[in-house]
Amino acid sequence: MGSSTKKKKEKAKDFQKTKLKVGKARPKNTNATDTSFAAKSIVFKQQSVSETRDATALFNHNLSLLSSKTEPQRRDALQYLTAACQVAGKDLPQPASAIVSKAQPLILDGSKGVRQQLLKLFKALQGDIGPLEQLLLYTRAGMTHLSTEIRLSALEVLDWLLQTQPEAVLACPGGWVKTLKTFQNLVSWQGGLSATGATMNGKWSATKAATSLGSNKLLVHQLNTLATFLAAALTSEPVDPNASAERAAGLFPLWHTDAHMLPKKSNPFGYLNLFGAPRDAESEVYDNAESRAEIFGELGILEAFQAGVREAKKEGGEVGRAAALIDKALSLADDG
Amino acid sequence: MKRKLAALEKVEADLPALQRKIRTDPSSYHDDFVNQYSQYQSLYELFEASPTTTDDSGLVRLRDLVDFVSHVADCYPSLTKGFAGQLTRLLEIHHVTLESELRDKLVGSLVLLRRKETIDSQALLQILWPLLISTPSKSLRALLFSKILNDLRTSNNKATNHKLNRSMQTTCYNLIASNPSSPKGLWAVKLTRELWKRQVWADAKAVSIMEAAALSQDAKVVTGGVRFFLGGDQEREEAADDDSEAEEGVDVRKLKHQAGINKKNDKRMKEVREAKKKIKKQERKKNAPHPLNFSALHLLNDPQGFAEKLFQQHLQPSQPKVKLNLEQKLLVLNLVSRLVGLHKLTVITLYSYFLKYLTPRQPSVTSFLASLAQATHSLVPPDVLEPLVQKIANEFVSEAAASEVASAGLNGIREICVRQPLAMNETLLQDLVQYRKSKDKGTQMAARGLLSLYRDVGAEMLKKRDRGRDAALKLRHTTTNEGGIAAARRFGQVEEGGIEGLDLLEKWKEEQGLDEDEDEVKGWENWDAESDGSESSGGWINVESDGEDIDVSDSEDEREKKQKADKLAKTTTSEEKENMDDAASRTTASLEPEAALAREEAKISKLATTRILTPADLTKLHELRQSTALLNNLPSAKRRKLAAQAAAAKAAKHADDAVTASDITGPSKLSHKNNKEERIAIAKGYRDGVIREGGREEGNDHRSTTARRKEKKAAEGKSTTNREKARKKNFMMTLGKAKRKGKRSLVEQRGILKAHVDRGKRGGKRGNAGN
Repeated sequence: MGSSTKKKKEKAKDFQKTKLKVGKARPKNTNATDTSFAAKSIVFKQQSVSETRDATALFNHNLSLLSSKTEPQRRDALQYLTAACQVAGKDLPQPASAIVSKAQPLILDGSKGVRQQLLKLFKALQGDIGPLEQLLLYTRAGMTHLSTEIRLSALEVLDWLLQTQPEAVLACPGGWVKTLKTFQNLVSWQGGLSATGATMNGKWSATKAATSLGSNKLLVHQLNTLATFLAAALTSEPVDPNASAERAAGLFPLWHTDAHMLPKKSNPFGYLNLFGAPRDAESEVYDNAESRAEIFGELGILEAFQAGVREAKKEGGEVGRAAALIDKALSLADDG
Repeated sequence: MKRKLAALEKVEADLPALQRKIRTDPSSYHDDFVNQYSQYQSLYELFEASPTTTDDSGLVRLRDLVDFVSHVADCYPSLTKGFAGQLTRLLEIHHVTLESELRDKLVGSLVLLRRKETIDSQALLQILWPLLISTPSKSLRALLFSKILNDLRTSNNKATNHKLNRSMQTTCYNLIASNPSSPKGLWAVKLTRELWKRQVWADAKAVSIMEAAALSQDAKVVTGGVRFFLGGDQEREEAADDDSEAEEGVDVRKLKHQAGINKKNDKRMKEVREAKKKIKKQERKKNAPHPLNFSALHLLNDPQGFAEKLFQQHLQPSQPKVKLNLEQKLLVLNLVSRLVGLHKLTVITLYSYFLKYLTPRQPSVTSFLASLAQATHSLVPPDVLEPLVQKIANEFVSEAAASEVASAGLNGIREICVRQPLAMNETLLQDLVQYRKSKDKGTQMAARGLLSLYRDVGAEMLKKRDRGRDAALKLRHTTTNEGGIAAARRFGQVEEGGIEGLDLLEKWKEEQGLDEDEDEVKGWENWDAESDGSESSGGWINVESDGEDIDVSDSEDEREKKQKADKLAKTTTSEEKENMDDAASRTTASLEPEAALAREEAKISKLATTRILTPADLTKLHELRQSTALLNNLPSAKRRKLAAQAAAAKAAKHADDAVTASDITGPSKLSHKNNKEERIAIAKGYRDGVIREGGREEGNDHRSTTARRKEKKAAEGKSTTNREKARKKNFMMTLGKAKRKGKRSLVEQRGILKAHVDRGKRGGKRGNAGN
């Protein structure tokens, strides 16, 4: 009996209205949640806490991070690799060619930071960086990219290549003619009529390409690189007529020593194209300055360039100065 | 200071924008295109160098560039000469390992290039077809098949592209013929069937592909080919019907109505315009002449050889090259028998093949029976069929057998005997006919069917009391006429065909006494459209069916002659009326002796074979035919005619249609009693809203008309009536008005009443009386 009255009271209590009194705080609800605690968290500065991580493994890990989806990760990996290259010099866990082949797609990367860091990495590399064919393809793709920024950084990569190993660049299949044509498109020296902004399809005159709209920083850079490129390509090595005789005398009992030595450049028989698809005139290898000059004239690019340079010189300023450099380089071809 | 980016530079950062700009002005954006194209070249070369190791972003970039270039390639044809070749190379060499999205994009781009006519159909099909045959990827196969089909359809859209069709058909044929045992031939079968269905290919060459498929050595290809012959034409007809039905969907009235009510804008106006155009197009299509399509079975080059080969390859040998299961064998058998029946071929070994399958325990024996019936025709020797009929009778038809079995057997026998009545002997027939007294409904009906058949075709084989009145009379008549010789049909006897009413014409001519040559010249006189000045409409002369409207010859005396002729014809035909009992309904004038009759017949047949009927003759023929038809419309004649029509319909059905297993089982359904569940299901089915075949209206729908109407309206997406709405209106919403109603002033009340009357006159609030 007692319990039932108690229960009745409890039940009734649920529906009782609490009386609010003036000047007093409202009593807390019975179902209120206590939110006075503060959450605590542990924050790591870096992902791996283990100090004793193998340097080789770390290097390889970072190399693999180059194809990561997130931009900062790629940049950081590049940074790490650059630092490692600078410190270790030649004895890296991976050969330079492997690093280049992993890093070269980043020439077309969308983020500026990554591209800049990539250039730093390239400059930090020492030793043979292997065949340049693919690197050059990526560079050319970058030079014709829609975005101006990517074009600029691709030009910088080309600058670096021309500084470090101009011969190797030119000895690549397509390294001479294709690069030239790329430049031709970029500065739009199509030769003849279109260079002077005249008719293209009969009736209407085409305006100059919109590539140099607003500023000609890009154009100047392009012209400068072109000048370096031409100079490197068209300068023939000074041949000392006595050099070979002297060498032969020095190594007297041996004949054709060079043929028995280890080759000094990468892919020494590449020009034979033993395994690739047959090449056309554009992607052929032109090994010396004479043949380059010859094909230069044959394809009619030389004339187009000369006409273009004349126009560009008239502009004066930075463009004019760059054009003068090109003019100088072109005279080499004329001589040869 | 940071330089402000020009608008053009900003926009140019994506390919679609550049693509749009190039499309509007190709020459101005030439350099940009060249840049992008050279970038594509670089990426292509990179991919070529290492097809498997190219990373995701590289693939995406290549895909985007391929898409871009293929969209604008037609603007720079000289620059992009090698583009299609490069895509083809990529597909051909790397299609197995290519990332699927890039692969699909390559296929799509090639099709796009074809649409822009950079490459032609022939080239495209030569790329896609080998891929379809060789690729292991199912999704790619589906894509390629649809693309090939679409391309063939579009190239045949305006006019038939014979060259393309021929080359594709040759490719298909060679695929099957070069390697009959490979399952790849299925693609040729699929393509041909699909194109047949859509009436793109409707020639003998397509049929010969299927012929090769049916004779190949892969079970799937064989069944594909056989199924085509059995169902391809039906499918084609259905597809054509579907097409015409699907186009009915536009409701112009509704659209117009909506346009009247909704806000007017360009989009709606355009919709109405387009709907009108569509309707017009449909009407033109509806009025267009029906394309003349031959059935695949009629387009076969050598039906006899085909049927023999099919039978010898797939059915006869004990160790065939292809193992077919029973279902597939039945299909082949069905086709063989269909061919035999349709073209009246002679494949004697086929009939003995049936012998071992004709037992009640054989699975799907009704199909075998149907095939056997189908393979029977009037030129099959009766002694080949007799043992079969005997076997069916022995195995199926007995008192001990189940009722379904007996009725199936009887139906099978009947179907055979319809086609070759001589396959039955007297004792067996008299025995079988006894089953019409069976207790089972199905058996009873089957036996009656057999009886009525033999009353028609061989009454003398029946016992006298089974013959019935009509058959007995007929029998007596022929016996007297032919001088006691039984008029049983002989093997190989063919009923001669003729032109209806030709005898009337002949007689009329004779009575007119017209000189034949002169008449002929006159008959052709007015036929030339140009010489006839009265015909101003031009083009074809419409020959009216009404005989009176056309004056065959304008001269007055000719007309008189014709009237006279009419009269004469009427008299002759009234004579015929007396002779109506003649079952052959040959309108010979009198009851002359046989010799005269024979003479006349000979003359009649001579008329059609010796001279060409002139247009005048044909109109006269029509006239004569009509006048006899008038006389034939008397009640007793009408009844007879109805019976004849029914018989003709039956005969027509047997001529070209297939015999199916359901024809054999047909009436035996009657002997099957529904059990309780089935009865309940039938009773419930309609009420629970389970939609059955045949629709609700035909079934026993026990609902009020209002309910049915409401459902119909709801199904059409229409609203309810105002009355219905008022009834359903929420009670609380009506309260206010009801309250107010009582407190209205008299003036208010009058106004409301007036407005009500006025509204009624106008026809609704908006007044739809005017329009």
